[in-house]
Amino acid sequence: MLTTELPRRRFLHSAAGASLLSIPATARAIQETSLRLGKAESCLFLWLGGGAAHIDTFDPKRRGDGKKLAGSYYDSIPTSVPGVRVTEHMPQTARVMDRCVFVRTVSHAIVNEHAAATNLMHTGRSPSGTLQYPSIGSIVLDQKGHRSEDVPGYVVMGYPNVTRDPGFLGARYGYVYLTQIETGPNGLNRPPDVDDNRQRRREGLLGVLREDLTRRQPNDPDIRTQAAVSRQGFRMAGPRFLNVFDLKRESADLRTRYGGEFGQRCLLARRLVQSGVRFVEVSFNLNFLNGTGWDTHNDGQINQHLLIRDLDQAFATLVEDLERLKLLDTTLVVIATEFGRPPEFDSGGGRGHQSIAFTGVLAGGGLRTGRAIGATDELGAKVAERPISVPDFHATIHAAMGIDPHKNLFAGTRPVPITDNGAPIRELFG
Amino acid sequence: MNSRRLTTLAALTLSLGPLMAAWTAPREVAQSTTGVDVELFEKVKPGTELDPTGRAMEQYVEPAFGFVRIPTRYSANALPLDRSTPFVLRANLKRTFAPGEYEFRLRARGAARLVVDGREIARTAPQKPNLSGNDPVPPPPPKSVGSIRPAAFPLQEQVAPVVLDSSVHEVVLTAVIGGKGLTPTPGELSVSFGLPGSTPRLLAPGAGPLLTDADWENYAELSQARHRDQDRTTRRRVGRTAVEAWNRRHAEVRTWLLTQEPTITSENPIDRYLRASLAREKTPASPRIGDLEFLRRLSLDTTGRVPTIEEIRRFLSEPAAQRRTRAIDRALQTEGWADHWVSYWQDVLAENPSILKPDLNNTGPFRWWLHQSLEDNLPFDRIAAELVLMEGSALQGGPSGFGQATLNDSPMAAKSHILSQAFLGENLGCARCHDAPSHPFLQKDLFGLASMLSGKKEVIPATSTVPFREGARRPLVKVTSKAGEAIPAAWCFKRFAEDTRFPLPELASTEKSTPADRKRLATLLVAPENRRFAEVLVNRLWKRLMGRGFVEPVDDWSLSKPVHSELLASLANRFVADGFDLKAFARLCFTSDLYQRRPISDPTGQSVPTFAGPYRRRLSAEQIVDSLFLAVGKKFDTEDLNLNPLGDRPLSQFLNLGAPCRSWEFAALSNERDRPALALPESQGMVDILSTFGWRPSRQNPASTRDEGASPMQTLILANGNVGARLVRLSDDGAFVDLALKQQPVSALCRELFLRVLSRPPSAAEAKAVAGYLAPLYAQRATPGALRSVNKRKTDSRVSWSNHLSAEASVIRLEEERRLRLGDEPTRRLRPAFRERMEDVVWALVNSPEFPLVP
Repeated sequence: MLTTELPRRRFLHSAAGASLLSIPATARAIQETSLRLGKAESCLFLWLGGGAAHIDTFDPKRRGDGKKLAGSYYDSIPTSVPGVRVTEHMPQTARVMDRCVFVRTVSHAIVNEHAAATNLMHTGRSPSGTLQYPSIGSIVLDQKGHRSEDVPGYVVMGYPNVTRDPGFLGARYGYVYLTQIETGPNGLNRPPDVDDNRQRRREGLLGVLREDLTRRQPNDPDIRTQAAVSRQGFRMAGPRFLNVFDLKRESADLRTRYGGEFGQRCLLARRLVQSGVRFVEVSFNLNFLNGTGWDTHNDGQINQHLLIRDLDQAFATLVEDLERLKLLDTTLVVIATEFGRPPEFDSGGGRGHQSIAFTGVLAGGGLRTGRAIGATDELGAKVAERPISVPDFHATIHAAMGIDPHKNLFAGTRPVPITDNGAPIRELFG
Repeated sequence: MNSRRLTTLAALTLSLGPLMAAWTAPREVAQSTTGVDVELFEKVKPGTELDPTGRAMEQYVEPAFGFVRIPTRYSANALPLDRSTPFVLRANLKRTFAPGEYEFRLRARGAARLVVDGREIARTAPQKPNLSGNDPVPPPPPKSVGSIRPAAFPLQEQVAPVVLDSSVHEVVLTAVIGGKGLTPTPGELSVSFGLPGSTPRLLAPGAGPLLTDADWENYAELSQARHRDQDRTTRRRVGRTAVEAWNRRHAEVRTWLLTQEPTITSENPIDRYLRASLAREKTPASPRIGDLEFLRRLSLDTTGRVPTIEEIRRFLSEPAAQRRTRAIDRALQTEGWADHWVSYWQDVLAENPSILKPDLNNTGPFRWWLHQSLEDNLPFDRIAAELVLMEGSALQGGPSGFGQATLNDSPMAAKSHILSQAFLGENLGCARCHDAPSHPFLQKDLFGLASMLSGKKEVIPATSTVPFREGARRPLVKVTSKAGEAIPAAWCFKRFAEDTRFPLPELASTEKSTPADRKRLATLLVAPENRRFAEVLVNRLWKRLMGRGFVEPVDDWSLSKPVHSELLASLANRFVADGFDLKAFARLCFTSDLYQRRPISDPTGQSVPTFAGPYRRRLSAEQIVDSLFLAVGKKFDTEDLNLNPLGDRPLSQFLNLGAPCRSWEFAALSNERDRPALALPESQGMVDILSTFGWRPSRQNPASTRDEGASPMQTLILANGNVGARLVRLSDDGAFVDLALKQQPVSALCRELFLRVLSRPPSAAEAKAVAGYLAPLYAQRATPGALRSVNKRKTDSRVSWSNHLSAEASVIRLEEERRLRLGDEPTRRLRPAFRERMEDVVWALVNSPEFPLVP
């Protein structure tokens, strides 16, 4: 694959620049230099939990009838990229398609279990049971580090669960989360009854205790560390970061353009990136719009278009807003879901699950965008050309972030490659 | 009737089946005068559930016709067992009533019948299992008359008028509990009665509690506690023979060991060894810590919490020369011992129950068996053997729950890995997929153990291998077994024990289905000749108490040689001679000079340990949270860890782990689906703070140490998070309001706050600052005549899996999340200005950098 197609001259050139040419390192060096890694600094990972139907969104096909005749539930429309079409409910995405990549042949084998497929899409691996693998957010944070000392590196808008966890990387690569914008992140916002004045008084008292402690035990390194970490924590909870959560600081017009609750989350995600957060996962879990969220069994199908329109508005606005702020080249936007859905309809007019072919979306991030990768068959039921495995999809995200997907993480002494043999989609780079 | 006989009878019923059903035992139940007589029937013939015949499986007494919890059934070796699906409860009471017309009120989730003087007066329908997630949220319970506790769905209610005269009347309730596809709990099964229009009382020999929210909740809490105590009494009675058998084994082991190692003495080997070793290395011993620091350390290591104010007072009132020894005696007897130690083994043994449909490597909740074993201070060879034997209830707390690893394609390989690491310090993790590159194991070694556990040849699954693609880089690891190969049972640890003269006591295994190879594995693992087993355990306990192990990491001995190996060896001998007794070992450590010294800081953890003092430890997540709740005198007060409160699904899909009292009882909230209606907002706050301090909500794999380093998020979540705010808020459910109102000088209040949170009096500077902050408002602190306020936080129990996709369910939970942010209802008994100031003081104490460090 990638490694074999490397121009020999480029390899020699870069290898000469590297000082580590011991024999065992050669194989690694080949792999590493073969990738022209991307330069994205932050990643926004938009999560469509439940399994979004690719054929009703990013991979439209012949129209079905919602009953016996299989196919898309809606008509399709052209996009700004010739030959790439989307569902009629995504006119704005159609407009920004040139800044996007549709990966239409993401494929895996977990079809029945939401939790297991969600775990796969977040960690890039099937669990082994001997190790708990880290989520992609934790890996990116581990590899790229914090962009700023004073803000958290990894923020989740959604519910905490094991698929988002740092696994063997440890708690420091975990996330801050919020489930509702108005309540803010648990642990960063001060309780409503503590204003600035009261907080100052509190920290004054705490200062007395802290000083007394360091005076009593001046040479204790653990106490010194604890005191320093405590100070850093309060800096993080300072007004600079907390103002990020105040969406009213944006113009009313922009807030309207982002749309409903999911759009507001995307706006907040953009503000978090601006403040220096490395990785943000935004969950689209507003099940009550249609009764089932993206898990459109039975009558969940009827109002699915409300979810799609919300997504369309929020995603396209996000892309254009990042572009306006000159952040699109350094911010990778990903749309991911645990699986797609088959072209056939179930007895209740909805759709079951389909994991062997579905779509993931990438936008911005300095990638060579404006294309669809791979193709499904006539009805989107199978991969017709170029399957992309979950490790490949993850490797592409990592490569865009400047992370070598073949590099090893360490669980204790045990080496664990960042992806399980994943290969980045080469034409998006360089 | 003794319990041994009960168990025998149960076995008979099982084997004789129809014959037994025809044989009806004479009813010889003596009528209790103090309560309601209850009988439980199992394996009742379908269709005759409401008319159970034959002998009851179990008989006990409840104070009233309110059923919150059913006694646990135990095997002869005290393991929790499952009851049949369903089982039947029959409750019976004879008493007199003032003559008149009454209303009897039956409430049941499933089929039940109420009979008065032989006449059926009320009946409820069976509960149906539910497969939907799309139901609407059930309507709120009908507005009831007066203050009667509403009968929330799916509780059915039947009210029947009954006229009673002055003679003795007999009331019999028969109810079906659980069933296929249902949860085997009684719900709020109850019978109450009263004059028409009045608030009914639960039927009891005397005046039962009122059927109001307040009385019911109080009754339910007491009932839970009573059943917990009763369960403990039952299992200790049932398990006495097993205990005696293990005691005999240990006496024989001791005799044998003394012939091998005649040097075992009663002197504390720790100080004897370290005096010499420190002198040899010319290292001065660390100075002795102060009394209160010692007490805090001891309390954290035994109860998992800081000392109570009562314990501090008692300790200080004792003669200085004896107070440490006496404190050790008391600490080893406190209830918290098991609560503290259980979480360590949950980590090491990867206890990983899921409250929502099993996912990867979920186990049964064998936490309950672990906890009872530690509570009963069972010898550790017995605990390890029972774990390996995997008997008892899988879903209701027995060690067979350890045997589960859902979605894992070779659960027994996973268990072999856990057991080797936990008890032998050997890491076979790599051998799951290939021969271990840096350990002396082949893949077939791991699967040979797996075959011993399962009793059949385990096949290496296709996923447990190293993919090798043509043209790709050659893997650095070797694979000598192929996927699909069936590996015969084999014990790869012959170097630790090849055979033993000490077979397990017969009662160690009571289930016929347990394979012989599994018994052999258990026998060899815990054999007294297997020195590695004793040394690994001693090393683990030592590291927990002294901060550093003789061998690191404690779960992989192949990477280094033990330091101070002579001390390790004599401690291991002592541990075996003492019958693998954890408390005896802990006492040895607590009474040593070493344990009572100032801690040594070694931030890198890389130096060779001298044990000139114990090494610095940080409080674990559980110790931090449990200590803080204790210090402020509050209860967790979270919802049940249960996503199926309607009870219309089986335990195999939805466990109910109850409402935790201590941190170890929490579990992953499993909202991988990311759905608002599957949130448990109050528990989420607890899980958040625990995880931030290094607790693992999900334990897919074993771990012996945690990432417990200081992080700024820890500061934040304690300072600003929901749980932090609850701890600091002065509300009437905590201890600090009464403390503030007590007639005492402000300096005394200040001293008590420091003692409760930091286990020490304030320094002069601290006392001055804190008293100065409170003093201006202290004289006017009370609001005369104000009443206690009650927390209004309530979880809507109508939200359940069956309706979690509805918009209403989401809205209900999101609203609960918002309300939670407002915190506990502040007390009205203190003036707000003073309350806020005192809260600020508590906040500063809770957030002190001193708090998370073990003194």
